Amino acid sequence: MTNKIMKWVSWSVFLAFLAVYPKLFGIYYTNVFVTFAIFALYAVTLNLLLGYTGLLSFGHAMFFGAGGYGTALVLTHMKGVSLSMALMTGFLSAVGLALILCPIMVRVSGTAFAMLHLAFGQLMYVLSLKLRSITGGEDGIGGFPIPSFTIPGIVFVNMKAPENFYYFAIAVLGASIWMLWFFTKTPFGSIQVGVRDNAMRIDYLGFKVPQTKAVVYIVAGGFAGVAGSISAMFHNLVSADGALHILNSFVPVMMTMIGGIGSFFGPIWGAAIFQVIEELTSRYTQRVELVVGLILILVIMFTPMGFVGILRSIKQKWTTYKIRRKS
Amino acid sequence: MDPTTAMYVAQGIHGLAYGMVLFLVASGLTMIFGMMGILNLAHASFFMLSAYFCYQFLSITGNFWAALLLAPVATAFFGVLLERFLLRKIHAFGHVGELILTVGVSLVILAGVKIFWGTESLPVKVPPILHGLVTIKGLDYPIYRLFVIGLALVVLAIMALLLYKTRLGKIVRAGVSDADMVNALGINMPLVFMFVFGVGTWLAGVAGVAIAPILTVFPGLADQMGMDAFIVVVTGGFGSLKGAFIVSLIFGELSAYGVQFFSQLAPVLMFLFMAIVLIIKPMGLFGERE
Amino acid sequence: MNILETKGLYHDFSKLQVLFDVNLQVKEGERHAVIGPNGAGKTTLFNVITGTYHPSRGQVFFKGKEVTGARPHEMTRLGMGRSFQITSTFGRLTAFQNIRLAILSKKGIRFQFFRKVDSMQAITEETDQVLKRINLDRERNIPASMLSYGKHRALEISLALATDPDLVMLDEPTAGMSKDETHYAVQLIRRLTEGKTLVIIEHDMDVVFSLADRITVLHYGQILATGSPFEIRENQAVKDAYLGALEV
Repeated sequence: MTNKIMKWVSWSVFLAFLAVYPKLFGIYYTNVFVTFAIFALYAVTLNLLLGYTGLLSFGHAMFFGAGGYGTALVLTHMKGVSLSMALMTGFLSAVGLALILCPIMVRVSGTAFAMLHLAFGQLMYVLSLKLRSITGGEDGIGGFPIPSFTIPGIVFVNMKAPENFYYFAIAVLGASIWMLWFFTKTPFGSIQVGVRDNAMRIDYLGFKVPQTKAVVYIVAGGFAGVAGSISAMFHNLVSADGALHILNSFVPVMMTMIGGIGSFFGPIWGAAIFQVIEELTSRYTQRVELVVGLILILVIMFTPMGFVGILRSIKQKWTTYKIRRKS
Repeated sequence: MDPTTAMYVAQGIHGLAYGMVLFLVASGLTMIFGMMGILNLAHASFFMLSAYFCYQFLSITGNFWAALLLAPVATAFFGVLLERFLLRKIHAFGHVGELILTVGVSLVILAGVKIFWGTESLPVKVPPILHGLVTIKGLDYPIYRLFVIGLALVVLAIMALLLYKTRLGKIVRAGVSDADMVNALGINMPLVFMFVFGVGTWLAGVAGVAIAPILTVFPGLADQMGMDAFIVVVTGGFGSLKGAFIVSLIFGELSAYGVQFFSQLAPVLMFLFMAIVLIIKPMGLFGERE
Repeated sequence: MNILETKGLYHDFSKLQVLFDVNLQVKEGERHAVIGPNGAGKTTLFNVITGTYHPSRGQVFFKGKEVTGARPHEMTRLGMGRSFQITSTFGRLTAFQNIRLAILSKKGIRFQFFRKVDSMQAITEETDQVLKRINLDRERNIPASMLSYGKHRALEISLALATDPDLVMLDEPTAGMSKDETHYAVQLIRRLTEGKTLVIIEHDMDVVFSLADRITVLHYGQILATGSPFEIRENQAVKDAYLGALEV
């Protein structure tokens, strides 16, 4: 019972902290936090493939980009689009892309899966640069109107104010992360992990492996699209280099590795650590690549289970220490 | 020859030169993959590193031929270091670790290059003998491109001799098709791996020197070549030298004639070609294994 | 009535003929052993029947319905369970989670996204019952790959049985076990397959003759003989081809 109360208390403290965060830290760090939250969701969706299904993707940015371009296009070209419709368009664009790709992708795994994604990701990148009339080429699509959050007659919130957008973004991203967490806890989630460990046995237990992979793939793609959609509205810009560049496919992989591949919350830790590193390095040095590169090498060489792995081993040492002291 | 035909032939030679350079890079990549199962995402960075070494040796010695000889060897040295001190230690962790490690290495190389040489384009001058045009049957060809084709052919010949006429080559070829079996035969595989990795990066190094006078030397060099080489390896089939060779030449010509006919969409052509191949054969034209 | 029947089954791997005109008949409720020297095609026969491979030629009937070329998940849903010669469990999942997957399949819970699996009391209880029955309740929360060999094999066999199939196909369930472990495993199999049809590939002749009602002998991809243990023991062709070779 006390456990349950503790859980409620810590959740309330956490939510209260999120609520007063903009007041406490000001506009700059509010925006830093939104960026972190976008990448946290984005990395969690990648880990759904990598950690939970054993599929490494080097082209996850195409879903992020599909979400961003979907939202930006609908806001640019259609009048009177509501905020939720804009978000939904981003989600559905990414889902659509995943639907198109999944008949090919569920047939492969391992290096082939990674490389096919690298290839299709680059195809999207090049297409977005070349199809200038739709995507705006190098400049991307920017300056589109951001609708206000309205419930007619009751609420009207202007999303141009960074603080208001913060609450909207945190709510959407937080809810998405929670939904994905729940997803991994469902019966389907346990079948998904079974596919990672032993796809053949899953088949022999009476589950359809390709269909299972397809559902995971579509969910991961769709929610990466949500992250991309929020990102596009946050920056009021979506561009080939910002959304579809190969580095944007590597980023969630790095976050997942740094945070810890074996846990749901690892990628979120990874996104936070990544954000801190980027803040610090861009302030004190121009060499962000050098720092990121060195960190990747060090993580792989010395703590392949990432930050959560370190936490776990510390916890383990602490309990053995306590047991030893008792006896 | 009428001017139109002449133009086609000239484009064809451009494409051939690029295809050959592409093959030098892609062959190293696919060899390392076939032998060790490692997809070296830093491969193109070694290619770029060699171009910078070439610039450096050239500005010290003033001799292009010395640079052509030394730069790839220096590059291979760094490749061997990567294999020996980093990749070998994480082999147990599986492919995800290797892929990410090589991404880290490529970022470090990129940063290092910017620290030592800055970000602007550095010119590489070729010796006078490779300058200018040569006229064959009333057609002008840039000598340097012909030299590049020749250089690639020489390297290819050396590689073929090494692979098909020596004991080491036999081991490597057997290893590419079945590394476990060769290991079981009691051959010192770690040493062979190191050697293959060295040769692979050396090939990328030769390509780096060859391309430097054409494209100049700048930090974006790796991205451009890297992506093309990956597409070649993916389309040709992982670990297949034959596939890499055929697809390199196709892509070389595709990009040369593509620029001529659909300038805007030329880069898309390669991806389209790849996408079609992969939809039909997910493992590439000549690929078999996962 | 025959619960399983193959008619003129052929299979080849790139020109290498592995199965040659196999006509296997398994009666409902019997314990049927498939024996034969190494390389006789026993596991391939299992793979063709259960859907790993599509046969090159011939037909497979299950419960009177033609199922030639059906995929493994279709066969499982029709009521077939299969274990593997090389242990094939979910290595990183606990014993409990392994069995729970089979229970979920049995209950037809597949694309369920709106409930936590941990909160499904009935599933948890049934899984724990299975674990108890196979004596794995103390290893409930240990990852499959960390189980002792004997326990791991027991988990392998129970994965095939936990979906409650009518026909159980076990591929060398006692492979690599010690004498004691084998004895225990045979008890387990006898107990768990009560009232079901069993097809078993086995090398250990003691196991075969103590467990089987009928035996089929496979030799170079062909059926040499089918009959009761007594008939097989007395069959001259079998003696020459197989038992003889073993005794010499």
